[in-house]
Amino acid sequence: MAPDDAHGLETLYRTYRADLLRFLTARTGDAGDAEDILQELWIRARQPGGAPIANGRAYLYRMAQNLVVDRLREQHRRMRRDRRWSDERTDFAANTDEAVDVGADAEAAILHREETALIASAIGNLPEGARRAFQMHKIDGLSHAEVAERLGISKSGVEKHMAVAMKYLRRALLDWGGG
Amino acid sequence: MTARSDMDERLLEEAMAWHVALESDDADWDGYTLWLEADPRHREAFDVVALTDRLVGEHRDDLRLLTAAPPPQVRRGGRRQMLFGGVAAALALAIGIPALMPKGDTVYATGAGETRRIALGNGAAIDLAPASRLVVKEGDENDLELAGGEAYFDVRHDPARALTIHAQGYAVSDIGTRFAMNLAGPALLVSVAEGHVAVGSAGNSPANLAAGQKLVARGDEGTMRISRIAANDVGSWRQGRLVYDDAPLSVVAADIARYSGKAVVLDPAIRARRFSGVLSVGDGSKLLADLAAVMALRYDVQGDRIRVSAGASR
Repeated sequence: MAPDDAHGLETLYRTYRADLLRFLTARTGDAGDAEDILQELWIRARQPGGAPIANGRAYLYRMAQNLVVDRLREQHRRMRRDRRWSDERTDFAANTDEAVDVGADAEAAILHREETALIASAIGNLPEGARRAFQMHKIDGLSHAEVAERLGISKSGVEKHMAVAMKYLRRALLDWGGG
Repeated sequence: MTARSDMDERLLEEAMAWHVALESDDADWDGYTLWLEADPRHREAFDVVALTDRLVGEHRDDLRLLTAAPPPQVRRGGRRQMLFGGVAAALALAIGIPALMPKGDTVYATGAGETRRIALGNGAAIDLAPASRLVVKEGDENDLELAGGEAYFDVRHDPARALTIHAQGYAVSDIGTRFAMNLAGPALLVSVAEGHVAVGSAGNSPANLAAGQKLVARGDEGTMRISRIAANDVGSWRQGRLVYDDAPLSVVAADIARYSGKAVVLDPAIRARRFSGVLSVGDGSKLLADLAAVMALRYDVQGDRIRVSAGASR
């Protein structure tokens, strides 16, 4: 990144810092988390190729949004990992951290596969219309309009199906019972 | 979080509308912020939409496999069906979701405990093992992808063309031979019963395999290891036998998961162990019991998953 760009980015960041903080506070519901994420955003944006100056505001917002979802994803992963072993902790008490590290790749692969099976079965259990709409839109990548056409329903009908799907999937996939 | 379970569909619809709207370059981030500030439930609804989107996105390729329906004209071969028939298929509940692949790709998929024979017009005959998926790319029968599971290839020699099968970043090419491929976790296994195949990956010169050789490629480690295999043991699952020679337990577990339709989870403490021996497939339900007996392992079935750990000391 050229020095001019870095300077431009700094200006951009200064200009929008307050807006971004307000957004992140609303997005996370926690002022401390918002500050943390803003810090991380700034570090990333300064890396070479981190952020273009053109349409920089939207870019910074999108980056902030992605960092929030990264955190959610990590929280979800941790929750699943904890839950997975918690009921057998006594059996595995002999495991050292080292032993777990050796198998970390394998564990990640297994977690990934388990998660796939979990999501697939959650999708399989959706009500018929919601399942088809979800499958076409989220897995096959069709737009709402294309899904509407294939199912012979209105676009708002597709949106309703998707909302029903989200409601079910939330319970099946995301209920970690914590904050 | 009882309040959360009452999340209504209207909020989710709003959240999804924002999720779509924010993809645009001139998205109204201020309006979105105001929406978030208006009600803390808006943030929670958006979390659901964004995290679901992320989860599905990360698994999209695998989900295509699991949610792909076998084409309606699928032939359920009598004897083979008997061989593996009646296996409770945890993953099969997802089957029936229509497969909509990018235009031109033809997908052959099997459920847990189900096998399938595919005859391609180019003279290749392929046996697809349970819970496996083979893609013919854009109608080109010489360009295939093994997207999951295991398959046995019997390819007629034809000097005019070479068949290539992609799997996990590797390309397996041959001109006329019999060989098997198995995707097991991070590992790709290629074993040759007859003829020669070449196994290449980006940036590496291809490894040549001859009849009686087996290659284990680990994409995550960037390693390839070649060992011997009896020609009879190549694709032996077709005769209802799973043959292992010093195989990582994770590979054995991946196979058992495909035949039994249950997720097999290994305790980290035993993942480094290896297995040599023969397991009889039967209806898929006894595989783990047999393995556990031979290796002094303990396993607990919990619904759709089986946890495997070292033998009980009690």
